[in-house]
Amino acid sequence: MTTGFRRYLLRRLGFAVLLVFVVSSASLLLARLAPSDDAFAADRAVIAAERHRLGFDKPLAAQYAEWLTRSVRFDFGESLRFRRPVAALIRERAGRTALLGVTALMLATIVGIPLGVFTGSRSSGPVPSVVHSASVVVLSIPSLVMSLVLLLFAARTGWFPAGGLPSIPADAGIVGSIGAIARYLFLPAVALALPMAAALERLQSRAIQEALADPCILAALARGVPRPRIVWRHAFRLALKTVLAIYGIMIGTALSGSFVVEIVMSWHGLGDLMYQALQARDLYLVAGCAAAGSCGLALGILTSDLALAAADPRVEELG
Amino acid sequence: MIAGTTRAGIVAVSLITIVSAAAPVLGPYEPSRQFADLAFAPPMVPHVLDDEGRWQRPFVYPLHLVDRLEHRFAEDRSTRVALQWFTARRLITTPNAAGPWLLFGADALGRDVFSRVLHGARMSLGVALLATVLALGLGALAGAVAGFAGGAWDTVLMRVSDFLLVLPVIYVVLVLRAAMPLVLTTSQVFWIMTAVLGVAGWPFPAKGVRAVVAVERRKEYAEAAHALGAGRLRILLCHLLPASRSFLTVQGTLLLPAFILAEATLSYVGFGFAEPVPSWGVMLHEAADVATLADAPWLLAPAAAIVACVLSLHLLSARSVPSRGPGQTTSIESAT
Amino acid sequence: MFAIVVAVGAAVFLARRTSNRAPSSVAAPPPSAATPARGGELIASFRSEPPTHNRYVDRSATGDYLALLTHATLVRVNRTTDTLEPWLAESWTESPDHLSFTLHLRPGVVFSDGVPFTSADVVFSFRALYDPRVSSPLASDTLVNGKPLQIEAPDPSTVIVRLPSRFAPGLRLVDGVPILPRHRLELALAQGTFNDAWSATTPLTEIAGLGPFILVEHVSGERLVLARNPHYWRKDQAGTSLPYLDKLTIVVASQASEALKLQAGEIDVMANADIRPDDYAAYKRAADQGRVRLIDGGFALDPSLLWFNLSTAHAADPALRLFHQKAFRQAVSCTVDRQAIANTAYLGAAIPIYGPVTPANRTWFGDVRPACEHDPSRARELFRDAGLTDRNGDGMLEDSAGKPARFSILTQGENIRSRVAAMIQEQLRQAGIAVDIVPMDPGGLLQRFTRGNYEAIYYGIQSSATDPALSAGFWLSSGDYHFWNPEQKSPATDWERRIDELMRRVAEPSDLEERRRVFTEVQRIFVDELPAIYLVTPKVTIAVSTRVLNPQPAPQIPQLLWNADSLAVTPARH
Repeated sequence: MTTGFRRYLLRRLGFAVLLVFVVSSASLLLARLAPSDDAFAADRAVIAAERHRLGFDKPLAAQYAEWLTRSVRFDFGESLRFRRPVAALIRERAGRTALLGVTALMLATIVGIPLGVFTGSRSSGPVPSVVHSASVVVLSIPSLVMSLVLLLFAARTGWFPAGGLPSIPADAGIVGSIGAIARYLFLPAVALALPMAAALERLQSRAIQEALADPCILAALARGVPRPRIVWRHAFRLALKTVLAIYGIMIGTALSGSFVVEIVMSWHGLGDLMYQALQARDLYLVAGCAAAGSCGLALGILTSDLALAAADPRVEELG
Repeated sequence: MIAGTTRAGIVAVSLITIVSAAAPVLGPYEPSRQFADLAFAPPMVPHVLDDEGRWQRPFVYPLHLVDRLEHRFAEDRSTRVALQWFTARRLITTPNAAGPWLLFGADALGRDVFSRVLHGARMSLGVALLATVLALGLGALAGAVAGFAGGAWDTVLMRVSDFLLVLPVIYVVLVLRAAMPLVLTTSQVFWIMTAVLGVAGWPFPAKGVRAVVAVERRKEYAEAAHALGAGRLRILLCHLLPASRSFLTVQGTLLLPAFILAEATLSYVGFGFAEPVPSWGVMLHEAADVATLADAPWLLAPAAAIVACVLSLHLLSARSVPSRGPGQTTSIESAT
Repeated sequence: MFAIVVAVGAAVFLARRTSNRAPSSVAAPPPSAATPARGGELIASFRSEPPTHNRYVDRSATGDYLALLTHATLVRVNRTTDTLEPWLAESWTESPDHLSFTLHLRPGVVFSDGVPFTSADVVFSFRALYDPRVSSPLASDTLVNGKPLQIEAPDPSTVIVRLPSRFAPGLRLVDGVPILPRHRLELALAQGTFNDAWSATTPLTEIAGLGPFILVEHVSGERLVLARNPHYWRKDQAGTSLPYLDKLTIVVASQASEALKLQAGEIDVMANADIRPDDYAAYKRAADQGRVRLIDGGFALDPSLLWFNLSTAHAADPALRLFHQKAFRQAVSCTVDRQAIANTAYLGAAIPIYGPVTPANRTWFGDVRPACEHDPSRARELFRDAGLTDRNGDGMLEDSAGKPARFSILTQGENIRSRVAAMIQEQLRQAGIAVDIVPMDPGGLLQRFTRGNYEAIYYGIQSSATDPALSAGFWLSSGDYHFWNPEQKSPATDWERRIDELMRRVAEPSDLEERRRVFTEVQRIFVDELPAIYLVTPKVTIAVSTRVLNPQPAPQIPQLLWNADSLAVTPARH
């Protein structure tokens, strides 16, 4: 690793930390400003007392300062709705979301990228057209509808459970446990992966088309390099840049949780938690979820930027 | 020469534009008209042959309610309701006293889904298209500057875009809504939604454009242009940005459906088109329910409309690439 | 390529055509008449999980359901008959001045950990309830005119409950207070850590109760598992020890997911056991296949209402001036076609109502009708009395200054309420009044309500009390959910003053018939003045698996789990 690259890495890491900090602060502020819905709850005085106990009604500056000092010690406060420390809640949920997100990403990559290369390198013929149309159709269907269709599919066929977290029977072995998890994981992962795969396919396809128009490809052809090698080795590297840029965002969104899929499929992860925090105007939980989400996103973006720099050194000079 | 697919794309897009603009004429009924006793009525296909096999002018058999709670209907084959052309300032409609013609069925309140899809096109497509253009424009600008200038510009712009990506936009919207007056006019909602979606959406294209510009600026044709005395702005606009055109078009086709659906989310926090203005996003959200999917799938008609629009955009933006080997003229051409 | 697209599109369109569905020929099996036997497992579903196991500090609905399963109260309101029945107290006497009740506790009752139950536990429970450090949300439901109850325990098996002033509902006040074990929580209360006791992370072995089940497992976000409480004191009429069930598993599932699971036979009962009209068709199919039984649960207790902003603070606002005229409010009520709303928005599964009390509240429903029920010509006259006529022939009504009549209704963004609001808008438009519907999330809506920053709101809340004296917050002008003008210092109008007086008499302990007569008069005034317009109340259909042998549906949620100790199941699972 060159010193230049190391400096680049350190600087990006620093910015990532700054980003997480800024986003969670902003979320805290916004959640405080957003209207709350306690008017009709059982006892307004009690809720007021509860919010007071947790410090929700202190002057903004004081509350923010206190939250900051506690966050440095990784104490993110207590959730109003769940009555538990925010950090514990997030830890539980983030693991589940990460499992779902990583599985979905793998599925999307395995399906989307090769398909994109395939359709991009062939411009005529029925198969690329079908794949192209299928991607567009998948991209146009809202994820809510997609998740519900999959849920219905599960309910009708009975091959998969209709949503829920994996419940592993007490006596299952390693294989049994993995099998149980896979059964519960499959449909939510598909719901998350399909639009990602379609987006990846479209982007990759366009990028390969562009890359194949580069003069160096003609030169390689003239040298006698076989076509598959041209496509996969030369054009693919050229095409990486745009796809990697978006891939980072995809990693990030997958890690921070899609609340639509999680809620419909009852996969109680980070996205679902964020949604509930939003509804309850649960200040510290919102800030905590935003922090966790931004960590995931920052990680994803950083990964893709680093990969981009590694793949195409011309980008690295930007810093 | 315009390629075949692009020509088809132009036709499709023109068709969609005409249909959206002419919705008050093309839709058989007012989008807010509620037909009593026809909630969740299934689609009615017009016939030209009656039961005896004789040719007739296009007609439909009216639907009668059999069971309200299970929404079961029966066709009344003894009556024929003829479709009237060019009556009451509409292309096709049916007489008031006779039953309605529900090409795409009826929604939960007995409103004609076909008319609502046509009328909803104007608002939903309008917002989504403008927001897409805004997001692409802002993103291209930001990405180009970041990729071209590098250094501090790049850092600031990219970090701002990261921030926007991660921020829960819904909170911003909630706070905004609380500060606004109770009733918003349709045009106010239209422009606010466009602005919110455009500003929330620009980070996606920005990142890609930045990557493209960063690479392209080092290429020989850019250096050649610089050597020939072209100013930085001219190099940026005339030479580097066009290289990202294909990425931008794909990104645009990804953003458009996302914005149509985001419009529905915004409407739940109060930034939506209020009744009775139909919008595709809200119609889809009402339909996105397990019971409805199983028993009234025609309510997903807006999803089909969205697919059609996105496909047309794809066709329009498809560029033909020579099928035998890579073309060599592209980059050299753009250097002058 | 375009051809392929068109072909695919056509195929999709054709595939979407549905034909009329004929019901399956398999009839549902008749409800089993067998006597329930002990044993079996029931799987229920909650839509969210309780955040803590400490009922006294929990505000969530699911915490309430869990308390019904694991704790017991002194007396219980039987939700199907709406009468008070002995529970932990086996009998009681009322003093002649109606200010105190002497309860005799059931002998031989022990907690789930074997420790005997005495009156000291009752005294402790109420001490914790009213402790300001705890500030329990349950406390406010047990106050009379803002003052707490006094609990005395002259001996281990007697409890005296003293009311600060005469109050007709009497012991109904303690129906919602589970009795907690003193030996487990006394220390925490003394040390001031009561609120953190029995939290979600407390080991379950430390929790003890007097209810039919004990919590043995709680996997966060996923499920709760309850087992039979071997020390449960209740027996059925044949002398069998209750509960019948060995095990009760509760899964946490979203509304869409729990409906699918019930239809598929993966779960047996839902906490919110009533089904939406939209889901009826799918449940009917499951019922025809013998997996599910659909029970008629009567009507809903708490319908949504459309109320106008009549608050004193904003009385001078010209935009709201129209609402203060009784003729206008009556005209709106007269224009609305309630039967059409019931038929369309609720698919026929609702009936028109005109006041806050519905037929589900059998004891107190007064069946008072307004003078005008869906009469457009009478509505036109009433609008004219309010100063609105069509002055320029455009079909819309204007006031004397020529300003068109227009107001906004704030309502919830998704949900059947927005459908009803759209129908009201259309019906009023035909009568000449323009209405703007403003959809909003509950948070924004309620904020505008608290600030008085709205014109009309269409919304509703759930309350499970049937006795109107327990809903003083709604009826009294000083109440905090007297929606149209909450928390008035003194009654702003004559009719509200009259209702305040009458409600004071309803709260007086006297003969039930007399109380009902007075309350019917209250309803009559309400239906005449119409500060809020009631439209329809939905019919309640309850779905439950055919495995469950003796469901007893109640109007309030949880419709079936409220007496889980008497639920039994067939051994086989579908």
